[in-house]
Amino acid sequence: MSYALQTLIHERSRYAAGVGAVLFSAVLIALQVGLLLGLFELTSIPVDHSTADLWVGGSHVESVDLGRPIPISYIGRLNKPGVQRPELYYLNFGNFTKPDGGNSLCTVVGTGLTAGHAGCPDVLTPEHRQLLTESLTIVADQSDLAKLGLSGVGDRGKVNGKEVRLVGVVTGLKSLAAPWLMCSQTTAREVLSGVNPLYADHVTYLLARCDDPARAPALARELAAEYPEMSVYTADEFSTKSRLFWLLRTKAGVALGYAALLGLLVGAVITAQTLYAATMASAKEFATLLALGIPRRRIYGLVMAQSFWVGLVGVALAYPLVHLLGSVAEQAGGRVVIRWEVLLGAAALTMATSLLAGLVALRSVKTIEPMSLLR
Amino acid sequence: MPAAPSNPSLRSVRLGRTFGDGATRRVALGSVTFDLHPGRLALLMGPSGSGKSTLLAILSGLLNPDAGQVLAWEAGAYVDVWALPQAEREAFRLRQVGFIFQGYNLFPAFTAAQQLEIVLRWGQNASAPDARRRSHAMLEGLVLGSQTHKKPAQLSGGEKQRVAIGRALVKGSKFIFADEPTSALDWENGKLVLELLRREAHDHGATIFVVSHDSRMLPYTDIAYHLEDGRLSEMSRSSLGEHP
Repeated sequence: MSYALQTLIHERSRYAAGVGAVLFSAVLIALQVGLLLGLFELTSIPVDHSTADLWVGGSHVESVDLGRPIPISYIGRLNKPGVQRPELYYLNFGNFTKPDGGNSLCTVVGTGLTAGHAGCPDVLTPEHRQLLTESLTIVADQSDLAKLGLSGVGDRGKVNGKEVRLVGVVTGLKSLAAPWLMCSQTTAREVLSGVNPLYADHVTYLLARCDDPARAPALARELAAEYPEMSVYTADEFSTKSRLFWLLRTKAGVALGYAALLGLLVGAVITAQTLYAATMASAKEFATLLALGIPRRRIYGLVMAQSFWVGLVGVALAYPLVHLLGSVAEQAGGRVVIRWEVLLGAAALTMATSLLAGLVALRSVKTIEPMSLLR
Repeated sequence: MPAAPSNPSLRSVRLGRTFGDGATRRVALGSVTFDLHPGRLALLMGPSGSGKSTLLAILSGLLNPDAGQVLAWEAGAYVDVWALPQAEREAFRLRQVGFIFQGYNLFPAFTAAQQLEIVLRWGQNASAPDARRRSHAMLEGLVLGSQTHKKPAQLSGGEKQRVAIGRALVKGSKFIFADEPTSALDWENGKLVLELLRREAHDHGATIFVVSHDSRMLPYTDIAYHLEDGRLSEMSRSSLGEHP
């Protein structure tokens, strides 16, 4: 066992504060990112609840909710080997008028309604799909009913001035700001063309499945290269793109960065202080080694190794704690997305912070002089 | 006592050192000249504040003198210790100098054997098995063969000081400096420490320089000096008494 690790284990109470600080930083970063990812998952819900492999939209679509109308005639461009029959997908913001007259933003999502349609959200039951075939009917998420001023099935409101009726309530289609209103392609065309006449012969997206989903990225690249005025994404790409866009656009990423930086700073200061104090507590032993001619760099190495182990132990303890706190948050109704990339990133950042703290603590070694043992 | 060999191993030439400035200026060492020989245990006595530790620090390469030279015999020639660049002086200490302090200064987390091993591994880049073998052999010689696996908290004061002696000797140091090595020990353990140092000098030819104000040490030494007001004088043979 290394001298550094042996010291850490023997004097664990002394190093506990440093380990705790690293643990705190790592958990803070991982949970913050997890909560934000959870929050911004809501922006890609239409993509995540579809079974399409390819999403085709207008040029430079940044996020699924920001698609612009494209001519339905583009459908012929998808006539390629390996790409299955495309389907129409409408998605656009609308103005929702509540039964009490108030207004709210909403997002109209019009899809094919048979079980075989790639765009049909998987949370819709066969009954919902059947009910939605009736013109000007909608399905919304339970959590959005209050925003829409609706109390339940049968209530009516207006989208872009057209009266619609709520025929079903689902869970899993929660929105960030503008409630998703699921409807048929016909309903969508009707309510959207009222404010944007293009929707008479345009759609927002063309969706398609691939014979071999593994080939979707290659097919998306081919189509995008062939038709620069179209955006072509795989479902995974579009989902990530949508989340990232809102994460960056809302500056939530900046807020996260600041909070994470503060967490790291607190962790670094406490860890540096712990290592500094631990080194000074062994100052006489180190001074004896220096008197014997042991190079000072060996002691620097020991302190750096200690900072490494403090970081590693802290990160290792953080891992189960992140999962525990994540599931607690989920039970409380939050959504925490714990991804290995985030865990790895949080671990790398806190390890780096711990090593930085070690570098700061090296100051203590510089002050150690063997002559002090003779005074 | 072994006869003084012709070549002194450590020569102190007109060493001077003062502390402070102006009204607070204090002369710790006047012009101190004396020789130490290999194979002998030398004792330096004197009242508190007489400059004993200052002299030990200058001789051992820890504190620079204001004037004079320290010449150490190494590989057939004298090395002017304070004319060496700092890195070379540290390398000289690593090759030749061992220290024993009043406090044992042992790492609480390490076993007795590891306190020695770290010196070999870090100082001489010894392999782990080599460092372990040499450390165990050294501790056997210090009658600590059964204590090698114990940490300082499990050792008595005398045992801890013997581990500290082992740490000073294990790298094969030819010059051993000890500052009040027995002051924290009862006399029985103190005598044992002195016998071990004496044996190191007589059997292995080390140059041992001990600073103390305990006159009970005198019979165990080969030569003794008295330092007072910055002036050094050799004590008479008769004042040493017979080795028990």
